[in-house]
Amino acid sequence: MKNFALGRYIPYNSFIHKLDPRVKILGIVLLMVCVFLNFTHPVVNDAGETVKATYWTMTAIMQGSVFVLSILLLWISHMSFRSVLASLRSLWFTLIFLLVIYILVPTQTVMQLGLAWRVEAWNWSVYWDSFADAGKIMLRLMNMLMLTMVLTGTTKPLDLTYALEWYMAPLKVLHFPAAEVAMTISIALRFIPTLLEDSMRIMKAQSSRGVDFAHGNILKRITGVTSLIIPLFVSSFLRSEELANAMECRGYDPRAKRTRYRLLKFGWRDIFGFIIPAALLGLYIWWSVDSSVFTQFVLSGVVLP
Amino acid sequence: MNPILSVSNLTFSYDGDSPALKGISFDVEEGSYVAIIGHNGSGKSTLAKLLLGLMNGFKGTIRVFGTELSRKTLYQIRSRVGIVFQNPDNQFVGSTVADDIAFGLENRKVPHDQMQGIIEKFADDAGMRAFLDHAPENLSGGQKQRVAIAGVLAMHPDIVILDEATAMLDPKGKREIRDLIAKMKQENPKLTILSITHDIEEAANSDKVVVLDSGNLILQGTPDEVFSHVDALNAARLGIPFVIALKHELASRGIEVPSSIKTLEQMEDYLCQ
Repeated sequence: MKNFALGRYIPYNSFIHKLDPRVKILGIVLLMVCVFLNFTHPVVNDAGETVKATYWTMTAIMQGSVFVLSILLLWISHMSFRSVLASLRSLWFTLIFLLVIYILVPTQTVMQLGLAWRVEAWNWSVYWDSFADAGKIMLRLMNMLMLTMVLTGTTKPLDLTYALEWYMAPLKVLHFPAAEVAMTISIALRFIPTLLEDSMRIMKAQSSRGVDFAHGNILKRITGVTSLIIPLFVSSFLRSEELANAMECRGYDPRAKRTRYRLLKFGWRDIFGFIIPAALLGLYIWWSVDSSVFTQFVLSGVVLP
Repeated sequence: MNPILSVSNLTFSYDGDSPALKGISFDVEEGSYVAIIGHNGSGKSTLAKLLLGLMNGFKGTIRVFGTELSRKTLYQIRSRVGIVFQNPDNQFVGSTVADDIAFGLENRKVPHDQMQGIIEKFADDAGMRAFLDHAPENLSGGQKQRVAIAGVLAMHPDIVILDEATAMLDPKGKREIRDLIAKMKQENPKLTILSITHDIEEAANSDKVVVLDSGNLILQGTPDEVFSHVDALNAARLGIPFVIALKHELASRGIEVPSSIKTLEQMEDYLCQ
């Protein structure tokens, strides 16, 4: 559980760490949109009609650039690549799963990359496009994970909460309790290590009473987990009651206005944190709408002079 | 002197029939250190919760500075009374030491630009200045309780209730908290401390002892008075502090030890004279 890099804050003093969390959330969301853009171009299919199909070269270059950018961001924010790789390792299963799905059910209308192999007996063909499709999804997932890691690795959970509260502020008009939601999230975050410690202790206590969490058939294991969950529930309820008392005694009134110890400040850095992702997204959207521009600029201009 | 806290005829029951507190009355003078002792289930923690208005439906009156505790005066009274609970984890609200001390200040609407100074001062007093950025999971139980005390003191209460604040700590943590309380008492002699405890030795050093047994207030007075009722204390399953027990033994052999002698060290010095 310790080497789980996704979602863990790594304290450093990098450029990205110092960005305003609100800007960081916005920037990452903008980059995520880039990740999810589709790049198509008109292709003539077997029947002689012109249809839109995935523009593989463009997809590879565009998603590849986001990949390179994500690595760059991870590097700037001092994230250890080993922990990043460890988090990505579990994606192997996803890749295999995706390959199987795409090979069995190809989604492309026009196969542009040619036949990989053919099983004459079953009248069944496998195209390279299926592999490319799986690869595209994988690249997306990886980009998404790495971008999330940049966000969570460089921002304290509490700062993220404050930023979310700031974004939820307009909802206050609709009587949405943004401050209370933020307080709830921050307390939930604060108690994760405490509850983890609790569950470890209960697990040890139950193991010493003969509960086996790791072996046996599924039914036995479920019973084992029950013996962990129920005491954990009880202890969390007791904790929450005591916490509520403590908060009340210290003058917490959810409806009252409170002042702030941590304030979010928008600095000169944040202009970059916003402009760079926004410009990139603009470019991506422009090119995804009109792929001929990409062909002209990148493929003819740079790659094929 | 006017009592800062006055409880009269306080009765409370959780389920309607068997009362947890039966007609308790006592006064607390400003600036005094009062120990409320009793065995498990004697109603001491119930008393603490009632004093802060955490439970409704009690009979009798609780007055703080002459103001009667009611739904209307709840926030007014809570602003003058601070409490430190037993479990260090369950009262740590902030994600770091600084945030936790700030929590009470935020509730009090202290302006942002004053907060840092107040936080640093009280963290310093509690010896936690170097830990301001630390998360609770990286602190010991004693350190967390020190943060809790700093958080309470930062709100400038007149009364601090310690609800078995040292019960879950190791001996080192207990000593740290005891030293911190002694220090804060020294800095602010007007601070009234109400310590709910089953540490008999702590009670021996207080100004006033209140003894609870299954919801009844059985004894109250100075430690010397209270601990002279050996039989009543034994019936309440409570012991007697070593120094006082020694005084009784010596008295029964014709040696009168002056009442100014309260600690083991003083006793040692007196006997070696």
